[in-house]
Amino acid sequence: MGRTYLGEFEELVLLTVGVLYENAYAVAITKEIIEQSGRSVNVSAVHKSLYRLEEKGMLKSQLGDAEAKRGGKRKRIFSITPYGKKALDESMELRSSLRKQIPEVAFKWQKG
Amino acid sequence: MKSKATIPKIPHALFKWYCRSDRYEELHGDLEELFYDRVDEFGHSKARFYYLLDVIRCFKPYAWKKSTTQNTTILMLNNYYKTSLRSLMKNPLSSFINIFGLAMAIGICMLVYGFATWVYNIDQHHENKDSVFLTTVFVERDGTLQQNGLTPRPLAEVLKQDFPQIKSTCRIEDRNAVIKFEDNVFHEQVRYVDPSFLSMFTFPLKWGNTEALNDANSIILSEPMAEKYFGNENPIGKDLQLIFNADFKKVFKVAGVAQPFPKAHDIRFTFLINFKNLLQVEPGYNEHDWSEFLQATFIQLDDPSNIQDIQTNMDKYKNVQNEVQADWAINGFRFEPLATLYKRSPNIQSDVSRGNGDNYSSVIFLSVIAGFLLTLACFNYINIAIVSATKRLKEIGVRKSIGATRGKVITQFLAENIMVTGFALILGVLLGTTIIIPWFEQLNDFSMDFTLLDTNLLIYLPAILLLTGVASGLYPSLYISRFQVVKILKGSVAFGHKNHLTKLFLGFQLVLACVLITSAVFFTQNSKYNALRSWGYSQNNIIYAEINGDKAYNQLKTLISQETHVENISGAEDHIGTSSSQAIINLPPNKKFDVKEIAVEANYLKTMNLHLLEGRNFNQHPGSDQNAIIVNETLVTNLKLEKPIGQTVEIDSAEYEIIGVVKNFHSQSFFHPIDPTYFKIADPVNYNYLTLKVAEGQETETYVSLRKHWSELFPELPFQGGYQEDVWGAYFNETNGHAKFWQVIAVMAVLLASLGLYGLVKLNVTRRIKEFSIRKVLGAHIGHLMGAITKQYTILFSVALVLGGIASYYLMIFVFDVAYTYHMPITISGVLIAVVLLALVLFLTIMTQIGKVIKTNPVEGLKTE
Repeated sequence: MGRTYLGEFEELVLLTVGVLYENAYAVAITKEIIEQSGRSVNVSAVHKSLYRLEEKGMLKSQLGDAEAKRGGKRKRIFSITPYGKKALDESMELRSSLRKQIPEVAFKWQKG
Repeated sequence: MKSKATIPKIPHALFKWYCRSDRYEELHGDLEELFYDRVDEFGHSKARFYYLLDVIRCFKPYAWKKSTTQNTTILMLNNYYKTSLRSLMKNPLSSFINIFGLAMAIGICMLVYGFATWVYNIDQHHENKDSVFLTTVFVERDGTLQQNGLTPRPLAEVLKQDFPQIKSTCRIEDRNAVIKFEDNVFHEQVRYVDPSFLSMFTFPLKWGNTEALNDANSIILSEPMAEKYFGNENPIGKDLQLIFNADFKKVFKVAGVAQPFPKAHDIRFTFLINFKNLLQVEPGYNEHDWSEFLQATFIQLDDPSNIQDIQTNMDKYKNVQNEVQADWAINGFRFEPLATLYKRSPNIQSDVSRGNGDNYSSVIFLSVIAGFLLTLACFNYINIAIVSATKRLKEIGVRKSIGATRGKVITQFLAENIMVTGFALILGVLLGTTIIIPWFEQLNDFSMDFTLLDTNLLIYLPAILLLTGVASGLYPSLYISRFQVVKILKGSVAFGHKNHLTKLFLGFQLVLACVLITSAVFFTQNSKYNALRSWGYSQNNIIYAEINGDKAYNQLKTLISQETHVENISGAEDHIGTSSSQAIINLPPNKKFDVKEIAVEANYLKTMNLHLLEGRNFNQHPGSDQNAIIVNETLVTNLKLEKPIGQTVEIDSAEYEIIGVVKNFHSQSFFHPIDPTYFKIADPVNYNYLTLKVAEGQETETYVSLRKHWSELFPELPFQGGYQEDVWGAYFNETNGHAKFWQVIAVMAVLLASLGLYGLVKLNVTRRIKEFSIRKVLGAHIGHLMGAITKQYTILFSVALVLGGIASYYLMIFVFDVAYTYHMPITISGVLIAVVLLALVLFLTIMTQIGKVIKTNPVEGLKTE
C-alpha cells in the first residue's frame, strides 16, 4: 500500500471535487461542503487543501471560463486524478474494513 | 445588482501585494465572486467586512509570493537569532552581566519616567486650568520686587463688577477649627471659599452635589476626612459641629464628599464651607477693607486670551490700595494661570500652591543619574562585546567568506545587541515596577500613581531600547566587522591586546563610579552631621503645648508646676520651631527690613536655653521691658548695626530698644536659612504656647502627665503639642532619605563597574591561560602571576581614581551648596573613603580571578583549545 496520507478535511474536499465534477472550483466546493456537512468553512481553507492535493498529485486543474460575476476573472477547475481515486478508495476501504471488524457486541450497551 | 458594488481598495491592494501573480487571477476571482454574493445577501458594508476577513485569512503560504530576496532575509534573520542565542548561552556570565546591568539602568529610567510624569501632571486634572487664574501682586521688599499670592480683600468683588470678561471669581481663606463629632474632637484646617470653587476647580464629588456650597450651613469633605469621621458609609445629611473659637460654634450638614484626589495634585482641601461663614466667625472681618489681605483670589474667564485686557487695566486698583496701606504698597498685578501655577509657585510668596521647585530639579537630577547608570551599563557591554569577539572571529571569517558584506555583519551584531537590550528591557521594566519605584515612593513617602498602561511609555521604552541598543552595539559591531577574512582565518589578527578605547571606557566607568560612591559617602556623613548639629538651643528636654490665652495658660501651669521634674515653665505667643510672626523693622532715617517676631514671656530665653552673646536678658518682673527687644546675630548683620546694644528701632510705629543679642538659632529646619529675628515681651492675653523645660530623661513621663492634665482641664479640645526635638521631624526623614537613595545608587554603580571589570578580567585571563600555565610550569611565584595580571590595570586604575577623586570633590561642593543651606564642610576625607572603597572592590574583583589561575593545574590550562 502506497503511503498516501489524506487528512480528514482534505478527504472531504477531494470527495466534493468528485461530486461537482465539471464545476469543481473553490467557491462552489466551499458552498457545497457548507451545505452538505453543515460546517462553517472558509474559502481560504479550501484553497489550501486544493493546492496541497494538487501538489500530492491527487487533483489536476485547468483554468476555466471568465465570468462577469467574478469581475471578469477565470476560475480554476479541479478534477480527480487516478491517483486521487486510488487514495480515496483506499481510505474508504480501510474505513469500511475496520468498521466491519467491530464485533456486534461492542454496540450492545446495557440500559441504565 | 442594483448599484455597482466595488471591492474595498485597501484590502485589495494588500491582497495584490502578498499574492503570487500566477495565482492572483483565480484566487481573487473567488474572493470577488463571494463578495458580490454577499452584497446581494447581506448588503454592502457587511460584504466589505467579510472581504477584508477573507483577505486576511488567505494570507497563507499557498498564496505568498515566492520572492527570493524576502526569503533569504528571513532566513538570515533566523540564523542571526540562532547564533545570538547560542553565543548568549555559551557565555552565561557575560550575558548576565550585560543583561542585568542594562536592566538596572533601565529600571532607574522607568523611575525617572514615572516621577517626571507625576511632576508634570500635578494639578493638570483641572478642566479649566487654562482659563482659571490666581491673582498675584508685586510688593517691594528689602529693595526688590516680590511676587505675592496675597491680594486685597475687596478685589474679587470689584473685578467681577468691572470686567464682563470674568465669568466668576473665588476667594479662599484657610483657618483652623476644632471639629466635634460624637465624643471625638480634632483640630482641622477649614477652607472658606466662594460657591464657585467647585465649578472652577475639577474636584468631582463622590456623594452630594456641587451646588451645596451656596448654602452657608453645608460642609463638603475630602474623601480621607469622610472616612476619618464616618467610615465607609455615605455621610450626606449628617451633622458636624465646628468649634471656631470659644465664642462661636456652628453645626454644619454634610452636603458632599469629594472623590479621592488624583495622585498628582497640589491644590487640595479637607473641609470646604461657604466664605460667608468667615464674617460670623470673625466679627471684625471686613471684606471691603482695601488695607487688609486675603489668602487667594482666583478668577475664571470665558476666553483665556482676554487676560491681557484685564491685566492692562489693573492700575486703578493699585492707587486705591496704596492710599490706605503704605507698608504693603502694591506695585502691580499679575495673573498666574492654574496650568502653570505649581511650576511658578517657587517664585510666588505665600500662594495657595505649595510647589517649591524641588520636584523639577529632582527630575533633572534623577535623569542625570539614570544617564550615568545607562552609560556604565553600555560601557560594560561594549567592553565585554569587544573582548569576547575573539571567540567569534572564526564565525565572522566564515560569514564574510561566504559572501556577507561588512554591512551584513554590522546588522548582525546590532540585531544581536537589540535582542540583548530587549531582554534587559523586560527585566528592567519588572525591576522598575516591582522594586525600584515602590522603594522610591516609600523612601519619599508619596505615591506617584505609576502605571504601565501609559501610551507615552510605549514610545519611551522602545526609544530607550533603540538608543541603548545602538549606543552600546555600534562600536563593537564596527570594530569586529573591520577585520579581513584572510587575516582572521590565518589567525594573524592582532586583537584586543592594545585596545585603548576599551581602557578609556573602563577608566570612564571608574570615574563615574567614583563620583557616585563619593556622593553616597557625603550624603551619609551629612545626614549624621545634621543629627548632631546644634540647633542653637537645647531641643532635647523641652516639651510644648498649644494653649489659648492666659487663662488656659495659668490653669495648666498651676497643675503642671506641681510635677517634680519640671524645671521651668514659660508662655509665648509664638514658639521657636512652630511659629513666628512677620514684622517690619524701621531703622532711622527710613530703611525697612522684613524680620520675624517671637513674642514671649520674660523667662522664655532661659527655658529654651538660648545663648545670650551680649547685653542682658528680659527683666523677670511682670510689666517691665515692654519696649525692649532681644535680637539674633543675623538681624544685627542684616541691619549692619555696629553697636546693637542700646540702638532704638521702630516697629509698627512704636520705639523699641535692643537690650541683648542671642546666638543664632534654627527656628526652621536646616534647609532654611536663619531669618533675622527678635524677641519681645508678649501680652499674656495672647499666649498661644506653654513651654516646659524638664529634667534630663524625664521627658516622656512629664509629657504623659501634661496630656493627662490637659484632658482633665479641656475635654472639648484636642491636645496639640509635643517634644521640641520632633518639630521638624520630616526634615531628618528627608535627609536620611537622600542618604539612603545615594547608598543604593552607589551600590548599583559599584556593582555595575565591578561586574564589567570582572567580565573583562575573566575573559583576559581565559585568553592568556596558556601563558600563565607555562609560567607556572617554569616556576612562577604567586607574586609574579599577580604582577602579570594586574600590570595592565594598575596605571589605568590609578589615573581613573585620581581623576574620579578630584572630579567628585568639586562636584560635591557644588551639589551640597545647591541642595542644602547648611551642610557639613566638604573635606578630602570623604573622597578618600570613597576612593579606598572603590579600590578595594576592584582589588577583590581581580583577586577572584587570580585565585582561579593559581588553583588550576597547569596541565589543564595547557590542554585547553
